[in-house]
Amino acid sequence: MKALQIVSYGEIKDSLVFNELSKPAVQSNDVLIEVKAAAINPIDKSIILGNLQGMLPIPLPSTSAYDVSGIVLEKGDGVSNFEIGDLVYSRVPQEQMGTLAEYVAVDSAAVSKKPGNISFEEAASIPLAGLTAFQSLEAAGIKKDDRVLIHAGSGGVGSLAIQYAKAQGAFVYTTTSTTNLAWVKALGADRVIDYKTEDYMSIAKDVDIVFDTLGQNYSLESFEVVKQGGIVISVVGPLDEASAKMLGMSDYKLPEALAKASSDRKADYKFILMHPNGAHLNEIKSLIEDEKIKPIIDKVYPFSESVEAFTHLATGRAKGKIVVKVS
Amino acid sequence: MLIDPSNSHCQFIIGDSEPFFIRLYSLTVLLKSPHQELEDLIKKIKTRLILSPEAEEFLYSISKEKTLRKGEVLIRQGQVVKNTFFVSAGCLRSYCTDKNGKENTLLFAIKDWWISDYIAIHTDELATLTVECLTESKVIEFNAKELDGIHSLFPEFEPYQRHNLERHVVSLHRRILNQLQLSAADRYDLFLKQYPEIEQNTRNFHIASYLGITQQSLSRIRAEKVRK
Ligand SMILES: NC(=O)c1ccc[n+]([C@@H]2O[C@H](COP(=O)([O-])OP(=O)(O)OC[C@H]3O[C@@H](n4cnc5c(N)ncnc54)[C@H](OP(=O)(O)O)[C@@H]3O)[C@@H](O)[C@H]2O)c1
Repeated sequence: MKALQIVSYGEIKDSLVFNELSKPAVQSNDVLIEVKAAAINPIDKSIILGNLQGMLPIPLPSTSAYDVSGIVLEKGDGVSNFEIGDLVYSRVPQEQMGTLAEYVAVDSAAVSKKPGNISFEEAASIPLAGLTAFQSLEAAGIKKDDRVLIHAGSGGVGSLAIQYAKAQGAFVYTTTSTTNLAWVKALGADRVIDYKTEDYMSIAKDVDIVFDTLGQNYSLESFEVVKQGGIVISVVGPLDEASAKMLGMSDYKLPEALAKASSDRKADYKFILMHPNGAHLNEIKSLIEDEKIKPIIDKVYPFSESVEAFTHLATGRAKGKIVVKVS
Repeated sequence: MLIDPSNSHCQFIIGDSEPFFIRLYSLTVLLKSPHQELEDLIKKIKTRLILSPEAEEFLYSISKEKTLRKGEVLIRQGQVVKNTFFVSAGCLRSYCTDKNGKENTLLFAIKDWWISDYIAIHTDELATLTVECLTESKVIEFNAKELDGIHSLFPEFEPYQRHNLERHVVSLHRRILNQLQLSAADRYDLFLKQYPEIEQNTRNFHIASYLGITQQSLSRIRAEKVRK
């Protein structure tokens, strides 16, 4: 089968190569998926650039990407929840990374039937970003009438987080730049803040939840806009102690400034590491079928132009998700 | 079915040493025989034709009653189709997934309807359709080939099968014409009138995909109706 592989760390163009591989073997709990579409995420780019070598040691060459939609072609003896021919989508587990290929074997616990009202390309755009939005806002305990600030509402994660927060009945502030204001508003956000012309900190004040998808100064600033007793959830800021432990860093301490801001404000800080989960994807499937959430796609690339898809991702200006149509 | 007095359970019930409520309980268990649904269907068939005991026996031999969970799939697109289903309770849907992965609903089936993939059955091709339960459902599963051929063994069946086929053709022709001629709003109105019980058991996207419109259009049509 054809697969797009990372052969070295470094510049995107130099690191990605199409290779001919054999079909992956199916373990007892796996399904073999014939890939129809795959989506790429910032983490794929970080892996290629070699930025995650310490945290995620990946043997080279490795096939790239985690998001997939397709058709179940084979299944292991231990799989009872899927049948051959099922249309599915998944964010595949770390050990099974490699959805930019004609076939991928995936632990069935990470797989869900795909929503029936959207295409394969749309379905592939959902898993990683959707699970991140879902798991982050659930960890924040989001509920009706909460006031939530979601950064980068035009990003892959942000665009789904806005819709999930609205489906939970929250009031949503979000940030993006001028060109994206209209379509982000149409996702349901109550107040779209143009970070080029407005100061978000003077608009979103005393919110219950900040969803930090930007990191850097934004993580610390979150404590100036979150209310006392509120919570800051980050997917890019500094690790918190619990997630550092999970990654094997048991003596890790939260950066001092962040720890102080959090305790001064009496607001929690949590770092979320998205984890693959078929049951969560199934819940997202229902939300999509009920049109509470719709996929937002920036561009679909043919398989042969996967490298261009990565170059587009690397600009950091994606409007929603970047998808590759594999077959 | 009548209670067979030679059956040991019946003797147990009839014997008067048992307390009354145990007898009553056993009786209700026995009366709810595992063929309740098929018996009801046979009663319906008997209003249309005279059924020989042999034909009745044959129907028992080619069928199985099933209680299905919501979401359970009876026929899967791309696979071999062996069975056809009579719905005793619940709501099922047949749909075809296009090459982009989107589902298009062909038909819904509720109590007293038949559902299967008739393209596959009559052409020996693999299934074009998927048939799934939208609610918990009860069906009688028939071996499709055997049921199809029943009239060669029991010619009395011929008019009954023809009648079913005619009804099916009529409803399909109506569906095609409605699709060609009526506005989306009129199609939705008609759907509500014809199948109010289906609307209660299905999700928006099932209805939109049956009417051949987007979910947004369906919501618009509904909002329009509320305003009227
Ligand atoms: N921890 C985890 O498990 C996890 C999981 C998923 C993602 N992540 C991380 O979360 C981040 C977001 O992921 P993503 O997939 O949503 O990325 P993405 O789709 O590539 O994000 C691009 C978007 O970010 C917006 N943006 C950039 N700078 C901004 C600013 N200063 N203010 C507001 N919006 C800004 C851009 O809008 P403009 O063009 O208008 O600026 C663009 O639409 C990434 O860093 C990713 O690595 C972490």
